[in-house]
Amino acid sequence: MTEFYGLPNAGEFWHWTNALHFILVGLAGGMAFLAALLHLKGHGEARRYTLLALLLIALDLLVLWAESPARFRFTHIWLFLSFHPQSPIWWGSWGLALSFLTGGLLYLGKGPRKPLTWGLFLFSLVALGYPGMALAVNLNRPLWNALLAGAFPFTALGLALALATLLGSPWARAPLRMALGAALFLALLYPLTLSQEPGATSWRRQASPSSSWFSWDSGLSVRSASPPGRGLWRQLA
Amino acid sequence: MARYAMTIDLSLCVGCAACAVACKMENEVPPGVFRLWIRERELGVFPDLTVEFRPEQCLHCQNPPCVPVCPTGASYQREDGLVLVDPKKCIACGACVAACPYEARYLHPGGYVDKCTFCAHRLEQGKLPACVETCPTRCRAFGDLDDPESPVVKALEEAGRVDVLRPELGTRPKLYYLNAPSKRGLTRESEVRHD
Ligand code: SF4
Ligand code: SF4
Repeated sequence: MTEFYGLPNAGEFWHWTNALHFILVGLAGGMAFLAALLHLKGHGEARRYTLLALLLIALDLLVLWAESPARFRFTHIWLFLSFHPQSPIWWGSWGLALSFLTGGLLYLGKGPRKPLTWGLFLFSLVALGYPGMALAVNLNRPLWNALLAGAFPFTALGLALALATLLGSPWARAPLRMALGAALFLALLYPLTLSQEPGATSWRRQASPSSSWFSWDSGLSVRSASPPGRGLWRQLA
Repeated sequence: MARYAMTIDLSLCVGCAACAVACKMENEVPPGVFRLWIRERELGVFPDLTVEFRPEQCLHCQNPPCVPVCPTGASYQREDGLVLVDPKKCIACGACVAACPYEARYLHPGGYVDKCTFCAHRLEQGKLPACVETCPTRCRAFGDLDDPESPVVKALEEAGRVDVLRPELGTRPKLYYLNAPSKRGLTRESEVRHD
């Protein structure tokens, strides 16, 4: 129904597939990271976990493509034809693509092994880190704070290690405990880092009114120039 | 170079939604999504009641959080301050939707993100944005913030009160609300009884 009143666009973009992507991308990044570490150690299971990382990256990209409203517009090419280092998603696209490329070459045994292994290590770190960053940069969302940027890689790694444990790899158990411990610690800290109002820390930083007509409403969302007089509105501009 | 801005005088707005209808028609905004909408708030207890009709849309922030998060450059800021989306580059990833604190962006059924453009296509023809031209109470003014003769600067100079939405976020909006009916400025969430 057409409704001109209220806040009609809010929530219109968010679906359960967003959550599925966060789980899959965490698993994929974590698995690529494990595969890189196994290659660095020359572990016998390196190839198996590289294949798993490749499958998870491919599955995540498939989910992303399938749920993308732009799936048949092929605009995604712009991710790789432009340079936008301020955007976590730009980093994530490159991280996932290059993890897939280096992981694929390692799995096939093509190319120089050591640089490819270090490449996979670095790119998987990017893939592990970007989803948390993508949430944390939105300072206007009260629940998405900087702690998520730290918590996401640990939970993602925990997911990958848990899968490795389920697949019968005994080396995964001790690091799984550590990753879960770190994730739990950050989860316990999380409520302490939440502000009552989005952006509350930033208003405190700016709230040092020099003129008396500048009123701040105790951390809420309004700054007013009242009465403004000639040109005083410029302080808002 | 101009620095376009808009004012809305809340003491004149009657919430008729003519601006929202004009925007829908001018920009062929699909059903169910909006470039412009009205928030209606009742404040206080009888007999001390106030009603605020507040049209909302993209504020063309001077420091727009929606632009840097865009991974393809589809969201960009022009020299004249307009924040626009290039549908040909948009991958509908939603990063800008999440970054906008004002819920100003929506997903167009064409598979890209869309929002108010201050009617950039009309500005090129020397016309005013459709909402400004349509408003029956003339509560909207539009123009160049750096031109002392522009209607927007005159409206700002004459206003008894000037507010912007959520200034604490540092977005520096270029849509100014004038003469809010409540003595305390724009209605705060905690004061709202009906929405
Ligand atoms: S109101 Fe939202 S969409 Fe518009 S410029 Fe500001 S942050 Fe961007
Ligand atoms: S949805 Fe489009 S405009 Fe918004 S951040 Fe993604 S690519 Fe950029």
